[in-house]
This record gives sequence, C-alpha cells and structure tokens, in this order.
Amino acid sequence: MSGSSILLDHVGKDFEMDDGRKVVAVEDVRLEIGSGEFVALIGPSGCGKSTLLRMLAALEQPSRGRVTVDGKAPEELSRNHRLGVAFQDHALLPWLSVEANIALPFRIANRSVDRARITDLISLVGLKGFEKARPSQLSGGMRQRVSIARALVLKPDVLLLDEPFGALDAVTRRQMNLELQRIWQEQHISTLLVTHSVDEALFLSDRVVVMSGRPGSILKEVTVPFGRPRNPEVMRSAEFHALEDELTEALEQRGVAA
Amino acid sequence: MIRISRQRAQDVAYGAIGILAFLALWEYIGVNQLAGLTWPPLSTVLAYLFDPSRQALFTRAMSASFSMVGAGYVAGTLIGVVLACVAHLVVPLREGLGRFSSVVHSIPSIALAPLFIILLSKDWSGMAIATLNVYFIVFIATQSGLAAATRAHHNVFTTLGSGRLTRLVRLEAPAALPSIVSGLKYAVPAAFIGAIIGEWFGATRGLGLLMVSAMQNFQIPLLWSAVLLTSAGSLVSFGLMSLVERYVYARYR
Repeated sequence: MSGSSILLDHVGKDFEMDDGRKVVAVEDVRLEIGSGEFVALIGPSGCGKSTLLRMLAALEQPSRGRVTVDGKAPEELSRNHRLGVAFQDHALLPWLSVEANIALPFRIANRSVDRARITDLISLVGLKGFEKARPSQLSGGMRQRVSIARALVLKPDVLLLDEPFGALDAVTRRQMNLELQRIWQEQHISTLLVTHSVDEALFLSDRVVVMSGRPGSILKEVTVPFGRPRNPEVMRSAEFHALEDELTEALEQRGVAA
Repeated sequence: MIRISRQRAQDVAYGAIGILAFLALWEYIGVNQLAGLTWPPLSTVLAYLFDPSRQALFTRAMSASFSMVGAGYVAGTLIGVVLACVAHLVVPLREGLGRFSSVVHSIPSIALAPLFIILLSKDWSGMAIATLNVYFIVFIATQSGLAAATRAHHNVFTTLGSGRLTRLVRLEAPAALPSIVSGLKYAVPAAFIGAIIGEWFGATRGLGLLMVSAMQNFQIPLLWSAVLLTSAGSLVSFGLMSLVERYVYARYR
C-alpha cells in the first residue's frame, strides 16, 4: 500500500448565479479515503461529485470545511507535482506525440525526463508502437490511456479520475476498466473515481459512495467485498448484481427527481 | 487520397486559368487601348522590365525596397510578439497596451510618414511604417492566440503544478502559433504597403521612388514595372506564408 490519505472534512460549496442567487452545490460532505484505497463516487448529473474532485485537484476552493491530503492543502500537493488527474476530456496537447504528452509532467516539474519510466508506462497502457503518434491519430480509448499514463508518470500521491471513460462506447469502456484495474494493481495509489456508471464503480473500487442530487450530499456508502485482482467474471456473479441493484436503487431514490 | 489530390489538381487548374484570363484581359485592354494611354499591354511592360539595360536599375530598387520590407517585417513581428507576451503576463498592462496599439493603428500611416521623415532619416521611414503596420497585426494575432488554449488544457497545467512561464512556453505559445502565423501572413502585404508609402516621401532609392518619379515624368511602362515587381514580391511572400500556415495548422490544432 502506498499513497496518501485524503480527507474531505464537512465540505460545502456554493455557486453564485448571474442574478445574484446563491446555489448550494455541495452540502456538508465528509469523506475519508485511506492510504492506497480506491473510492468511487457516483451520483446523478449535477450532484456535485465533479466539484468535490475539482476541490481535491486544486481547481476549486470549498466554501465551507476543509480538503486535505495527509493534512496538507491540495494546492501544496499540486505545487509539489504530487497530483495525478485524468479528466473526461483527455486534454492531450495536440502538437505533442504520445511520448511527449506522457513526458509533459516531467517538463512541468522541471525534472529530467525518465525515459525508462515512460517506456514502461506506454507498454503498461498498451500503446507500444504508438510512441510517435499524435493524439489526432489515436482512437478515443487510446487517447484516454495516454491521459491516464500522463496522470501516473510522476508516481503521484493521489490519483483523481473524473469520468475518464465517460465519452467511450460500452465495449471500449469495459475494456478500459479492465486495463485501469491492471494498471492500478501495480501501484495502489489512493484514488478517487467519479463516474456515472454503477458497474464501473463496483468493478474498480474498494468502496462506492453514492451522492444525492442538489444540494449534493452523501446518501450511502457500500464496501465492495470482491478480492483483487478481479476478473470480468465478477461482474456476472449474483453478489455483483445484488450490489448493482442496491446502488442503482439508491441513485434513483431522490437523486433523479432533483 | 486520390480524391483529395484530384481536388487539389482541380483547384490549381482553376487558379491557373483565372490568372491566365486576368493577364490576357490586361493584354487585350492594353493592345486595344480600351483604358487610354495609361494602360499599357502586359507585353510592353514585360519587355520594358526585362530589358538588359534596366537590370541594374530594377535590381537596385528591388534590393532597397525589399530589404526595408524585410527589416520592417522582422522588427514589427518582434515588437508585436514581445508586447503581446508582456500584455498577456502582466495583467495590469493588458488593457493599456491593447488600447495603445489600437490608437496607433487608427492613425493612417500616410499621415505619420512626414513625421518619420523628420524624426528618422528619409531612407528609414519606409521601414518604420512597415514596422508599425506589421506590429499591430502581429500584436493582435498573438494576443488572441495566447488566449486560445482550452480550459481543459489549463486545468491539466494547474493540477500538475505548472509555473507561469512554463505555462506560457509549453501551453499558451504553441496554442497561439496558428493565430500568430495567420497574423504573419496578413502582415506581409501590410509590410509592403508601409515600405512603399515610406519611399514616396523622399527616399533616395527603391520601388516607391521609381513609382513617384515615373508618375511625375509620365513614364507609363516604368510605373507599371515598379508596381508589377512590388505586387510579385508581396504575392510570393504571401504564398510562402500560406504554406507555413498550412503546416502549422495541421500540426498545432
């Protein structure tokens, strides 16, 4: 086990609308992610789950409460280049090759590029032979793999995944889930995955947290009982289906109505 | 692939037909004197232009004018890019520099030319006006280009803990390249206009000077030759920049 422990301590977030009205996006969320734990956050659209992730990514400030990683603010983590983030929009630089995109965090951190590390990651995410390709020459799934490799390259303390496979078709998505699990298995980084997909959450995480609709708050937490490594057969087990139904039901209770 | 190249061949063919038609019309109007004495046939102009006895005259004029164009182009580009970067990095200066540039640009360069002649020497005012024209276009293009990087890309740099300068060099500058190169393309004719106008106001050599003296002495073929050379220089440079632009667009967008 490696990585840091994450604490969202009674966090709230308000947004100001154009007409001056205040909208409470997130209401009093308390969430702890242990060292080396993989937590999935699911909830209906607009429930504030991405907002929570963006607070951890140093992209947004909480209006109330505190967000810390090993007691430190996310800004400090990002300044020290200890954050790994992959978004739904892969956000690869179109003028750089696959290799150079994965090397970008080294350049930003002003460190010499570890070639061996990049070669390893490229083969880990299954992109051998595409080192010199540009993002425009890759499929959606391949771009997302590059994006995840980029998030991992500096061996971050925290890995944040904001619907990384949200734009992919179902088959590619399933395949990417398998690969993400395999990649994660190698280095057990404390991870927060935000997703719409219940089975993705169940397959990948140690714990699934369900959020309600606006204002976002935690509705339910489920510890995932399956051991690792998990193979796809797990998804066909009765236990998996029972948990899937339970979580789906929790999602439908209040969330969708909001 | 084959379809694209056929499309391309068609474009080139249509372009060539258009140019040939234009030149033929020029010749036809000149030969039949449809536009009076001041419209010579193309063949007369070309014969005048390529007459061996005038090689030295035109070479000297061309090298004088084109070096003013080139120097103004380079200087204007440097000033434009540097000022746009300063405006981008130093937020309090941003609006002021933008407004200053607009004000300078809104003064017709022909009104500034006499000033330059007094302030600088006669021979450098062409370059000065070219610089001024180029600087504005490149400044605006660079400034809007530097704002072109997407929010998603900025988020990546923020989470990775990027410093301001790294963000400029690794994200904003490459993202600005297409816009900058487009600006550079449109700055080409502006540089030529600036240099020629500058020469009208008393330069001791150059194509602009040839135009003025040919006009005053009613040397029609000489006038047209100077115009033809200037236009050819501008068009060729513009064409080269279009090629650069195509490459940059393919690579950086």
